[in-house]
Amino acid sequence: MLVEFELIERARSGDDGAFNQVVQAYRKRILGTIARLIGRPEDVEDVGQEVFVRLYYSLDQLRTPEVFEPWLYRLTVNAAYDYLRRQRRRQESRMSDLSEQQVLLADALAGGKQRQEEERRTKIREMVDSLLGKVSEEDRILLTLKEVEGLSLKELEKIYGVNENALKVRLFRARQRVLKAYEAQE
Amino acid sequence: MDRTEYNDDKLDALWAAYRDACPDPEPSAGFTPGLWKRIEARRSTNLMVFRRLAQLCAGATLALTVLMGLVLIPHLEQTPAVSTTYADALAAEHPNTYVDIFAGEIK
Repeated sequence: MLVEFELIERARSGDDGAFNQVVQAYRKRILGTIARLIGRPEDVEDVGQEVFVRLYYSLDQLRTPEVFEPWLYRLTVNAAYDYLRRQRRRQESRMSDLSEQQVLLADALAGGKQRQEEERRTKIREMVDSLLGKVSEEDRILLTLKEVEGLSLKELEKIYGVNENALKVRLFRARQRVLKAYEAQE
Repeated sequence: MDRTEYNDDKLDALWAAYRDACPDPEPSAGFTPGLWKRIEARRSTNLMVFRRLAQLCAGATLALTVLMGLVLIPHLEQTPAVSTTYADALAAEHPNTYVDIFAGEIK
């Protein structure tokens, strides 16, 4: 936990100052998770704000402060899922395209090693985004949480509200689908 | 090592590389003020929805009251609730009882 339970309790009882402290403590981690889930850096803050707005209006439904982190992750996953679904509906999800921020970043970089390193990272991001763009939003989010965010099965159990065996099956199938897309891409 | 196993390992390496390639971004200076703007905007939207709902309910109640008044009041005025007296009703239900009583008294 990045904050004390007492702070969560205060935020839950309507203390805006306490809520602000919770946001300060978690925003970087949540923005990082969202960045890896949606793969569009220019929209990360927008989705991140949506997560915290949802948190603000649903904090009174939190049973105990102990389940705060899985609760926050669930809100993050739902917001990312909504975003990806909207993107797919708008057919704007061109995973292989460079995002605005990536283009700006590439332009801003002066060359040399830093540029090469950024190019390598951009290539990896594009490759994984393209791969994850070939599977469903559910598979994408589940695999990112497990493989990239490094969440344990126990943590995923709390987020998804399903038992470990069901999660293992879902993870195995999702991984198989990505592997198939990876083999086809190779 | 077969091809699938090989690709499986490569996929694991790719996840790790992806994790390194996507570090947690630093939130911009406008993140928290923007968040509070959105919270406030949603709060006023909720209030507006409730206000609109309350106005609709009040309007519907008023319309229903006027409608009931227009339909029911003339109807009630035309058909009085009690058209006969209590004594008449008793007499109609037991026509012979009074005769017997009065007959007994006379005797």
